[in-house]
Amino acid sequence: MNETLQQIKERFQEAVAVESGRDGDVVVMADTRSARGALLEVIGKLRDLGFTVLTDLAGIDYLQYPIQQPGRFAVTYILSDLKRRQRVRLKAYVGAQDPVLPSVTHLWQAANWLERECWDQFGIRFEGHPNLKRLLNHHEFVGHPLRKDYPMRSRQPLSENDSLMDEMVVRLRQKGLLLPGIEAQLATPGVRVSDHGEEAAPGSPSFGARGGAASAAVVERITALPGVLGEPEFYRDLHTELMFLNIGPSHPATHGTLRALVALDGETIMAAVGEIGYLHRGFEKSTEVQTYNGVIPYTDRLNYVSAMMNNFAYCKTIEKLLDIETTERTKAIRVVIAELSRIVDHLVCIGANLVDLGALTNYWYLFNVREKAYDIFDRLTGARLTNSYGRIGGLARDFYPGCGDDILRVLKETEKAIADVEQLISHNRILLDRLTGISAVTAEEALSRGWTGPLLRASGVDYDVRKAFPYDGYEQYDFEIPTGTVGDTYDRFFIRFYEMAQSARIIRQALAKMPAGPIFPDVKTAALPPKDDTYNNIEGLMNHFKLIFEGVKVPPGELYDSYEAANGELGFLVVADGSGKPFRNRCRPPSLLAYAAFPEIIEGHMIADAIATLGGLNIIAGELDR
Amino acid sequence: MLERFLTLPAPIMGTIAAILVVFAVVLPAAMFMVLWERIFLGKLTQRPGPNRVGPRGLLQTAADALKLLSKEDFDPKNADHALFYWAPVFFMLPSFLVYAVVPFGKFGGSYGPALISDLRVGLFFIVAVFSIHTVAIMMAGWGSNNKYSLLGGIRGVAQAISYELPLVFSFLGVILLTGSLSTVRIVEAQSGGVWNWYIVAQPVAFLVYLVCSIAEVNRVPFDIPEAESELVSGYNTEYSGMRFAMFFLAEYASLFATSAIAVTVFLGGWTAPFPEPAVITQSPLGYFVWSAFWFAFKVFGLITLAIWIRGTLPRLRADQLMNFAWKFLVPVVLANVFATGLLGFVVKSGNGLGSWWPVALGTWLALGGWLVLGWATAPKAERRKVAY
Amino acid sequence: MSLKVERVQGDRGVESFYLWNVVQGLAVTVRHAVTNLRAPRAVQTTNYPEEKKVMPPGYRGKHRLVPRPDGSPKCTACMMCATVCPARCINIEAGEHPDPTIEKFPVQFDIDLLKCVFCGYCVEACPVDAIRMDSGVYTFAEFNRSDFVAHKEQLLATLSQWAEPR
Repeated sequence: MNETLQQIKERFQEAVAVESGRDGDVVVMADTRSARGALLEVIGKLRDLGFTVLTDLAGIDYLQYPIQQPGRFAVTYILSDLKRRQRVRLKAYVGAQDPVLPSVTHLWQAANWLERECWDQFGIRFEGHPNLKRLLNHHEFVGHPLRKDYPMRSRQPLSENDSLMDEMVVRLRQKGLLLPGIEAQLATPGVRVSDHGEEAAPGSPSFGARGGAASAAVVERITALPGVLGEPEFYRDLHTELMFLNIGPSHPATHGTLRALVALDGETIMAAVGEIGYLHRGFEKSTEVQTYNGVIPYTDRLNYVSAMMNNFAYCKTIEKLLDIETTERTKAIRVVIAELSRIVDHLVCIGANLVDLGALTNYWYLFNVREKAYDIFDRLTGARLTNSYGRIGGLARDFYPGCGDDILRVLKETEKAIADVEQLISHNRILLDRLTGISAVTAEEALSRGWTGPLLRASGVDYDVRKAFPYDGYEQYDFEIPTGTVGDTYDRFFIRFYEMAQSARIIRQALAKMPAGPIFPDVKTAALPPKDDTYNNIEGLMNHFKLIFEGVKVPPGELYDSYEAANGELGFLVVADGSGKPFRNRCRPPSLLAYAAFPEIIEGHMIADAIATLGGLNIIAGELDR
Repeated sequence: MLERFLTLPAPIMGTIAAILVVFAVVLPAAMFMVLWERIFLGKLTQRPGPNRVGPRGLLQTAADALKLLSKEDFDPKNADHALFYWAPVFFMLPSFLVYAVVPFGKFGGSYGPALISDLRVGLFFIVAVFSIHTVAIMMAGWGSNNKYSLLGGIRGVAQAISYELPLVFSFLGVILLTGSLSTVRIVEAQSGGVWNWYIVAQPVAFLVYLVCSIAEVNRVPFDIPEAESELVSGYNTEYSGMRFAMFFLAEYASLFATSAIAVTVFLGGWTAPFPEPAVITQSPLGYFVWSAFWFAFKVFGLITLAIWIRGTLPRLRADQLMNFAWKFLVPVVLANVFATGLLGFVVKSGNGLGSWWPVALGTWLALGGWLVLGWATAPKAERRKVAY
Repeated sequence: MSLKVERVQGDRGVESFYLWNVVQGLAVTVRHAVTNLRAPRAVQTTNYPEEKKVMPPGYRGKHRLVPRPDGSPKCTACMMCATVCPARCINIEAGEHPDPTIEKFPVQFDIDLLKCVFCGYCVEACPVDAIRMDSGVYTFAEFNRSDFVAHKEQLLATLSQWAEPR
């Protein structure tokens, strides 16, 4: 326990317990009125002490957990100190009866969607949240699916699309785009956005900061009547009117199913709100009935462009929970494959972004080499896209003979293709003008929004999990972290070129000193025995049976662990209960917080800029919606 | 019927025949261009291009046209049906009307050039007719009752109006040098070899025209009215079946038309790039084949250039596109007109480079000087170097 | 120490003329076009129905059941593959084998290929090497959903793409 936490402990005697976890220090807040009252103060204190970034916020339902817990639910806040490279996990327990916690949206913008997700999945309310709506599930959905008493296979018929006008009206009002008359009507207390959750007590004060919301009737009035919407001051003489346009969920540029409702003045976006969840398939709930190894194919489908990084991120978390260390060879192979995946991911991002900008040719130049990288994956793992290559403790297969040479060959071809693309675009004024100064995000804002990975680095913060919390032996490789200066679409776009160059550097170093040896450590409780043992040796067969039928047994405990995936920090918060299946498996997807910011950062820009920004954020719907 | 036709006076007969020829040539040519675009674009982008229908994929566009013909013709429920219905027709109209004044060859001997009508205001006619496109785009955009279509329509109109101005001005230099608006006179003034072509005397005007013509036919990098990744398909989002095919074909017919105009005005029309021997010029039909070949060859070259540009450049943003037209192209082309007028007035005595050399020299010097001076004085930008 | 993304501004220097980079870009694209026109093989596209990609060894294609020398499946209906399957797509009905040295055999062995995620866990889990995914078949097309359920006979008849290993 370090000094800062000592201070916290001394200050908030009974309310707070400080423990030491395998992933750093854990601050536990009891489920008492005084503890809940002190939560904001504790978080504020932690923030003052340097834990300035809210990395993740997730709920846990401890119903049926074998070890008695102080409350049914716990909301876990992962707070990071990027300077001192520390993390603290804050657990706030909250009881089953009307679970309420104070919102931290005023401290971090990232908390907005994270708290919404927590409310959606667990029914934990956050007092003071400006817009506590469902996030991933449909707005007609009844119940909170990640609660342990929500049946796994329960299905609900859902029909009506969310018009999003309730959020849009609030946004318009903040921007001063509504006429005064309407303003007065909206200010009527007691009206709130339609909410289908069963806990939605009428008149509950959950909408405060943004100043209340609009009733369905008012929304209807606003959409039906012409001339109700206000105009920006400087256009008032023209008597223009805002036009609402849905970009997505099916739009050529969304590359997945995302939706943004924008209010347009001409082509300029005056206000925008977003909606996600079209690809929500219940990753976290589904994995609760799989064995630990059985989750790996599910992780493939998070960021499906670089599936193996998700495998490794998940395996790394479970290995840490098991307290085993994988072999040097596996570490090196993971590094090589992860960096190659990162290159592939960036190629896809750049290629798709250029397609959206109209420069179609680059797409094929980049995707040709991507296919070649996939040929290697194909030979190595047995599948092109959903590789399922990681295993807890090791890997599904070792390198095939000549794999390293294949990778070096593809790297060379990739560099040639990138050189072509650089010649085509990197000094092209049309493209430079399209990207420069669009949707600039300052470093402070990016941190507040919980951005990680290339997006955060583009804003000038050199935070990289590979350097800050090294794993898989990254500390032995010589590489640099590229950072941007302005944090606009230009930086977010071109930083990926630099990252690919650094990844290539790492791959070359790792291949040059690839250690020999086994790919699984000698841990009988995690690694499947070699096939020879299984076929010919009764002990091996027994062990095999146990591991297959029961899964890898992970001792009770919980931790958060992160991995530098192509889009940013991919974190897993896993709660183990001693069985072979994860009790709770929370995934912190980098895309979620990136997309949460999207509607706000495109305001004031044009539709074409919004498309360019979206491409630069590299939202992967599989990871966004889980 | 045939007898009645044959009793018509010769000029009318000739005109009707020419119209038929134009239709018989332009539509298949547009279809061929679609095919060529797909082949060449494929090669530019590392793809095989069409290779399924017919030998080496040659029947691909025919198959596409057949497919579109047989598809259901959707009509959005709340569309403005009259506008929606007529927009493709109006869109197609100017692409064909333009050919009325474009001479696509010449009969040798004492016969005249091969065109439908040698209007004395030929270039004016071209400009006037081409602006019908704008109306059609707006009709389609407004009539579809779709927000994406509307945005595309508005973008299309704004773009067409902005780029028509420099386009018209780019003609002015040539008109000043020729002293005529007649397309035939312009081509005849350029006969005698490549050095007599107006591209030599008017390089700036040619470049401006090239840019504007690409913008006029809504092609990359100026395809913002139908920018696929932004507006789904812009003004023709709601169109399907044959009406979509009409938009599609008309776009290529327009590309063909703008290229033909460029060839006529700047690249010497039907004339060969070297002095033509009398043997050929005296043979009535022989010279027609000869001249039509050169015309088609140049048009094909320009179209290939347009495809090549499409395979290279990204798309501009709507406001940048406007800035480019109003703040860059218009001043440049106005300066060109002014310089041409001034220099052309100083020395002007007949046709041929002999009389234009001051204009040619002046503009080339100005172009070069601008590039060099601009390069030297502009603040230096960082060069990106990513080491792998 | 840290690498900075360099800012190239469009309105500065040679970039502001458009022309230079356009020419540079045109040169890049035409270089590709000339290569591809001269040597059609330079285009890396696989013309799918005519040319079929041969999948590398280890590729996880359609499953097959490994037969014994007498043609019956090697499978002993131990249910390990059905248990480990993350998609729950394997359905086995075990039966008593007439040969007393063999305990059980699958009366029914169905794999629902529409549910299957091709993770290869069943192959990994099998203790007797009775199921493999080395058929190299990666295209599935049927007219009915029910036709996607591969039955025991079908799985037995599927052959390996490569010579029998081991």
